[in-house]
Amino acid sequence: MTTSINARAGASSGLRLARTIALRVGGVLLILLVISFLTFTLIYLAPGDLVKNLLGNRPSTPAAIAAIEAQYRLNDPFFVRYVDWLVAALQGDFGISIRLQQPVTTVIASRLGVTGSLIAFSFILALITAVPLGIASAAKAGRLIDRVSSATALFGLSAPSFALAILAISVFAIMIPVFPAYGAGQGWLDQTWHLILPSAVLAAGIGAILMRMTRAAVLRELESDAITFARARGIPERRVQRIALRAALIPIVTSAGLILTFIIGGTIIVETVFALPGIGQLLEEAVLFKDLPVVQAITLLVAGSIALITILVDLSYMLLDPRVRARELS
Amino acid sequence: MTNLTQQVTLSSRIRIGPGKHRDWVVRVSTVFLAIIAIATLIAPFFTDLARKQSILDSLLPPGSPGHLLGTDELGRDVLLLTLAGTGSAIAGPVVIAAGSMLIAIIVGTLAGYLRGPVDWAVGRIVDVLLSLPVMLVAIVVAGIFGAGYWVTVGMLVLLFCPSDIRIIRAGVTEQAPRPYVEAAQMLSLSPARIMYRHIVPNVWPLILTNFMLNLAIALVTLSSLSFLGIGVAPGTPDWGRQITDGRGILSDNPAMLLVPAILIVLVAMAINVLGDYLGERLRERGMQ
Amino acid sequence: MTESQAASQTTSPGLPADTAATGSGPNTGAAAVVVTDLSVTASERTLVSPLSFEVAPGEMLAIIGESGSGKSMTARAITGLLPRGVHAEGSAHIDEHRYDLSSDSDSSWSEVRGHRAVLLLQDPFTSLSHVLRCGEQIAMTIEARLRRAGRARISNAQIRDEVTKRLAEVHLPARVARQYPSELSGGMRQRVAIAAALAAEPRLLIADEPTTALDASTQGEVLDLLRELQVAHRMALILISHDLGVISGRADRVIVMQHGEVVERGETERVLGAPEHPYTRALIAANLSISDAPRDAGQHAAGPVAPALLEAVDISKSFGQHQALAHASISVGAGEVLAIVGESGSGKTTLARSIAGLDTPDTGEIRLDGRVLPAGRRGRAPGEIQVVFQDPYSTLNPAFTIGASLEEALRAGSDRSRTAAELLTLVELDPALASRRPSQLSGGQRQRVAIARAIAPSPRVLICDESVSALDVSVQAQILALLGRLRDELDLAMLFITHDLGVVARIADRVAVLRLGELIEQGTTAEILRASQHPYTQQLVAAAERDSVARDLPTDERSSQHSPQRPHQRPPQQEDHE
Repeated sequence: MTTSINARAGASSGLRLARTIALRVGGVLLILLVISFLTFTLIYLAPGDLVKNLLGNRPSTPAAIAAIEAQYRLNDPFFVRYVDWLVAALQGDFGISIRLQQPVTTVIASRLGVTGSLIAFSFILALITAVPLGIASAAKAGRLIDRVSSATALFGLSAPSFALAILAISVFAIMIPVFPAYGAGQGWLDQTWHLILPSAVLAAGIGAILMRMTRAAVLRELESDAITFARARGIPERRVQRIALRAALIPIVTSAGLILTFIIGGTIIVETVFALPGIGQLLEEAVLFKDLPVVQAITLLVAGSIALITILVDLSYMLLDPRVRARELS
Repeated sequence: MTNLTQQVTLSSRIRIGPGKHRDWVVRVSTVFLAIIAIATLIAPFFTDLARKQSILDSLLPPGSPGHLLGTDELGRDVLLLTLAGTGSAIAGPVVIAAGSMLIAIIVGTLAGYLRGPVDWAVGRIVDVLLSLPVMLVAIVVAGIFGAGYWVTVGMLVLLFCPSDIRIIRAGVTEQAPRPYVEAAQMLSLSPARIMYRHIVPNVWPLILTNFMLNLAIALVTLSSLSFLGIGVAPGTPDWGRQITDGRGILSDNPAMLLVPAILIVLVAMAINVLGDYLGERLRERGMQ
Repeated sequence: MTESQAASQTTSPGLPADTAATGSGPNTGAAAVVVTDLSVTASERTLVSPLSFEVAPGEMLAIIGESGSGKSMTARAITGLLPRGVHAEGSAHIDEHRYDLSSDSDSSWSEVRGHRAVLLLQDPFTSLSHVLRCGEQIAMTIEARLRRAGRARISNAQIRDEVTKRLAEVHLPARVARQYPSELSGGMRQRVAIAAALAAEPRLLIADEPTTALDASTQGEVLDLLRELQVAHRMALILISHDLGVISGRADRVIVMQHGEVVERGETERVLGAPEHPYTRALIAANLSISDAPRDAGQHAAGPVAPALLEAVDISKSFGQHQALAHASISVGAGEVLAIVGESGSGKTTLARSIAGLDTPDTGEIRLDGRVLPAGRRGRAPGEIQVVFQDPYSTLNPAFTIGASLEEALRAGSDRSRTAAELLTLVELDPALASRRPSQLSGGQRQRVAIARAIAPSPRVLICDESVSALDVSVQAQILALLGRLRDELDLAMLFITHDLGVVARIADRVAVLRLGELIEQGTTAEILRASQHPYTQQLVAAAERDSVARDLPTDERSSQHSPQRPHQRPPQQEDHE
């Protein structure tokens, strides 16, 4: 009897979960649509001769101009062109890179590995340093470890990543040549070795934010009634801290999601300084050369990734907070 | 219980909070920022002087006679360049932080107090704007349109305000159901008066701490952009630009790169220290 | 055991004489808990002056006081859980274990907390972790106890069995173990907290206002449960409360505190029956009791005493799926006080807010002097209806001076001849307070300012939404007297929203009882409180009478009886709108 009720409740809550996720994904698709329209408009409004931009370094003969006009349907009305572009994009065709004369998807795919690893490395690095430091600082608030790590976080928060990158190259690649200064390297091990300095630089800034947020969240929980009551009934301090951490996990996960989006923004600078052939550097070059199809595709890729992170953070609330779970699933 | 909570929060400041060490840091930060503010105000008068090139004096190391911090490869005095660069390094971030906060106070308060369709529309716009990193949009837009300094600053105002709007909106939504607001509604005061005379002064701690935080972030963002060559014309004295130029002459005159880089870090740190301190003080006062 | 008790007796010869005197109760010979010279200070400020007492196994000691009396600090000092920056002195014994109250080492407190003493907190909405299931939270205490006893390995099934047993002890079904606190009512949460506390098998349980956040009918049940478990486990119990009503018939002895000092102590019956200290007398006199109600149900006419000034007809309101209020109709005349009574979730606040225009009802009509008022605030005038809210700490804008708040309210009304100073005088405050900010005023002073602001635009109707329930007992009576005076002087029609029948008895002419959004009964105060026809009202009245002290003081002190107050109840808006 009870099990059948539970099973039914389980099935219907599964359905509600699916509905919640579907709603979120729908919202994201809507946002992506708006952004695609905005970028398309932006590029339409871009100053300079569009034909010349699209020609790139090809000779500007009347035949070539006619070919470009035909290829990009430059004589069609704006909305028709947008819809055409959208239809093609939905089929995975984002056009041809003007500068590299390759399909945009191919260009991006060839750069994705470096940026993906950079993001993953720096995120993990930030996570494994900042979260424990934040917890330790909160547990020993006002003591030495708190002061030192708070001061370090203040520095990390205040130092621009390009300055840190130059400092890192000067110290660890030029003065003490342990790490390579530029490039992506060859082979798996070498590539990883090349990513260490850039990842550390990227992790410093975002780790600082994560550390401060973790410290504040744990501190707030440690001063809560629930923790006082846990101590009051003789639960050992280590266990008490675990309870505090469990409750603080919700704001910490939010911060982690937030900093992931900061990392994506930060890759542009770090890849430029370290000459890493990733998406960020590609974007910087594309902007410089007005390689508009590439700019457009990267913008959408970034918006999509950030939206995906947001959905994951929202779903993790349901996992972590029974009150949110109850509200969303009923 | 209120009593106890007050004592808890008050006394928690006693231990974690300031102390002599912290007061000292706050004092130094304040003095330092005051000096930077003065430098920002006088910076425009040094721009022409800083642009003066001298082939004879090109690439002098720090400590050279007449050039305390040496010169760059064009023979420009690094000290003068740095001083003149203070203008664009500081003025822009101040405008960005203040402008974005002003928009956020107006829009965020409307959304948080009136709710309904206004809130919904503002929320969706904010969602779209927040789905892209500031840096990316800034690089794309400023890069493609070749925007100048103040256009870049204006764009950053727009890019900074969505998160401010969210914060102010949340603060206002928290205040709106409080009895003092409902008492004002019972007096049939105009919504504008309730929002901007009654509620906004009570989210002041939120406004101030976020203004300070934005100031530091804007400083870093703007100098990062000029480091990439966005927003400043070549030859203009600017800290970010100076760092780009300084990379090439690092071994000849490290001051060209190091001085503006250290200044950016120190100014941002001082702003953050002061922001944390003011936020804590205001929250304490609000609690009493 | 006997030896250790003897030891604890012999180590406390230095106790002040008054402690020894109060130790003359029946259980003195077996004192399990002895607290000696406990004092609490915060940065040079004394919160609690040196205080000594003992509690025997199975005995209940009540510590009574208003806010700022130091009662909660005393409770926390015994378990070493003082807030940061607050420091205790003195020593304590629990059984044979003697410890120093000033210690700040975790290891010395781990010898005390749990198996010797447990502190139960006031607010069950925050004292349990909201991310852990109730069963886990009880299990944690059990595991901590077993580990301390050296029994590290124990099967999960055994722990589950004990959790079920502990839940049964507090009269909760086993399924609660799998639920989260947010799925339970306040009373159930406090029961879970009690189960989690008792799972440590402490010798001393300190309960700090354990029922203050609960509804009246739940309050008594939880207190009786505590008493029952205390006797069953032969545990010493210290009950911290602001409420004299709840201790009669439950506590064996009582200590009355004021401004960190003990003003009176003794056996409960003696202190309540023949208080010696003026403060205790004042406290008892101020205590609002249901027996203040007119004795004779036939004294008043059954209908309204005055022609209806305000009528609310057929008001309904839903929040999403939840119907907060269904077809409620009330009316009140000028110079009359109608009390709207109900527990949390009864819809009483929704009704008040709909009448005030702060909520827009789904159906129904509000008429003032026969004229239909618009639903919502738009189109309403400040001179019609005003509200005095519950929480004195957020009712005034912290950014405004008192004078600015009052002048704004005066400008909103039509009568511009009055001044802020006159208003302050009218509510018996010093006009010099006009230049102060709310944070510089006490709770009672703030509530007076809130009343002054409400009457500034000369309203015809005044709605008091739990306006005294957040105040100290002694202040409550004064504010009610002020409201009564203003009703007479200004000929106000008053709606008094309250959960407290003691308040009703003191101020109301008529009463309307709400339950789960339905108006179940209306009548004169005497009819409802003395001869109710509805079983729910009868139950409310019985609970209120149970917590009143049926003991007469000398005849010059009229209000000799007490009823429960819950000063720090959560804002009713929240509860009603959930």
